[in-house]
Amino acid sequence: MNQYKLPAGERLFLMICMIIGVACLGITYFTDDALHSRFWSNFLHNSVFFTGIAFLAIFFLCANIIAFSGWYTVFKRVWEAYAQFLIVGIGLMVVVLAGLWLHAHHLYHWADATAVAEDAILQHKSALLNPVIYLVTLLIVGLWYFFARKIRNISLEEENVDKFDFQVHKKKLRIWAAVFLPIGGFTSPIVIWLWVMSVDAHWYSTLFAWYCTISWFVTMLCFTILALLYLKGKGYFEQVTADHFHDLGKYVFGFSIFWTYLWFSQYMLIWYGNIGEETIYFKQRLAEYPVLFYANLAINFLLPFFVLMRNDTKRKEGTLTLITVILILGHWLDYFLMLKPGILHTAHEVLGISHEAAAHAADHAHEAGAHAEHAAHAVAGFSMPGLLELGTFIGFAALFVYCFLNQLQKAPLVSYRDPYIDESLHHHVV
Amino acid sequence: MSAHREILFGLYDDETDLLSAVKEANARHLHIDNVYSPFPVHGLDPLLGLQESRLHQAGFVYGAIGMLTAFLFMTWVFTRDWPIIFGGKPYWSVPAFIPITFELTVLFASIGMVVTYYAVNGQGPGVTNAVLDDRITDDKFCISFDAGHASEEEVSKFQQFLTESGAKEIRTKTI
Repeated sequence: MNQYKLPAGERLFLMICMIIGVACLGITYFTDDALHSRFWSNFLHNSVFFTGIAFLAIFFLCANIIAFSGWYTVFKRVWEAYAQFLIVGIGLMVVVLAGLWLHAHHLYHWADATAVAEDAILQHKSALLNPVIYLVTLLIVGLWYFFARKIRNISLEEENVDKFDFQVHKKKLRIWAAVFLPIGGFTSPIVIWLWVMSVDAHWYSTLFAWYCTISWFVTMLCFTILALLYLKGKGYFEQVTADHFHDLGKYVFGFSIFWTYLWFSQYMLIWYGNIGEETIYFKQRLAEYPVLFYANLAINFLLPFFVLMRNDTKRKEGTLTLITVILILGHWLDYFLMLKPGILHTAHEVLGISHEAAAHAADHAHEAGAHAEHAAHAVAGFSMPGLLELGTFIGFAALFVYCFLNQLQKAPLVSYRDPYIDESLHHHVV
Repeated sequence: MSAHREILFGLYDDETDLLSAVKEANARHLHIDNVYSPFPVHGLDPLLGLQESRLHQAGFVYGAIGMLTAFLFMTWVFTRDWPIIFGGKPYWSVPAFIPITFELTVLFASIGMVVTYYAVNGQGPGVTNAVLDDRITDDKFCISFDAGHASEEEVSKFQQFLTESGAKEIRTKTI
């Protein structure tokens, strides 16, 4: 079977999941604080997470094309299909942009003109952190989408050439991929700074963009493994063997370690430098999110490190399924931990709930009961992912998978005209 | 190296010839003593029934030893033996220990694996190994049989097999 067809059952299931997501977003919106920060942060969190996966799919595909590698060719349609989610990602981020321009949310402290007016640091940063540059980041994603489309079209054009005519691959695919790599590589940090890092408007780290990118990359690989396992289970992609999973597993293993390397490099330099403006980032997280903080390291480093170290675990479907599902959730938690503390503190600041005031209110519960309730209310859904967060994640994941499967059925699954297809079909790693 | 043995071997020109010959030998239930090749031949290991190397398991153990050595040593030095305050940090500054712990893990694992590899294969500085034919390090592929410990009937079977499976040269050598 070389042509995927999305079965009605799966379509219905994904639709139900998306409805759950929309319902959770709706419930969050109407049970939220005055700024709707829980709703907006959940929306931003998931939009950023899945848009990044789509970006990493096209980026890694292009890296493989110009590296003349052939192992992945048999399932390259999967990555091409992932990348087409970028257009949906733009749509999602337009909502965030509209909220920013209309002052409907308070995710970014730098967007608050009154706050910036009395804040020297934010004034200094306003050349980068302003709503116009935020629009530019969406244009950048548009550029990525243009390349994703282009690569996909060239790849489909290749379907119609003769068996040994490699001109399309050499003259078109390779050149477009080579052009995209520096563009994607140099523009993605700007997107990450604006979307993710600037929720802690006073704080910055030069390593941050790498760290976010690798988090996306590991998630992208995990989604690839899960998608291939699912499709194999349905009888498609019988050409994908344990050897391909072995290589994907190695990438997950290696880049989980690289993620830890970046996480630790960022942590240790800030810890060693011991500058208050920088350490506040980890101080907040350690003080208010101790469980998530250490769970993040345990799930995203210790687990893949010890489980995927052995040869045979990378070749077993059960182990791979378990570890990839946990890792996807783990990196989703990683993004949760990047975004929520900053947004929570911004919201607290604007709503006038200082931590001292909240603690004070708790001490004098009689006179300031309403105040304390408000403070607790603002924390729910920030300190720990609740059911609403999980529901929202399910909704967004279903949207991503639906877009992916929908793209997948638009073309034959295995491209038998790619010059590297034979290498991929005879891929052996042990 | 064990005592001198009489080895019967055949040289092949191509790895595909070698692979089909090994398959043929398996089909005839002939006990192959060893196979020599200038480069790793894909699919040869399962045909010869070779077990997966356990070198990486040894590597894990060496790495764990290196990790513990580095971490415990630094802990001892900076909390018991010679406590120094660096930049206002606590004596037991775990994050500062991590890079050195990592380096020693890698160092122990790599050196340990190299030494183990050489020891297991009976190699090392100053050790010379007898070679059946110099060209098996260049462009020839070799299947060898232990002729010294086989009956005459078996040796004739080996010879018949080597001739029929397309060996370009068949010789005997005591190493």
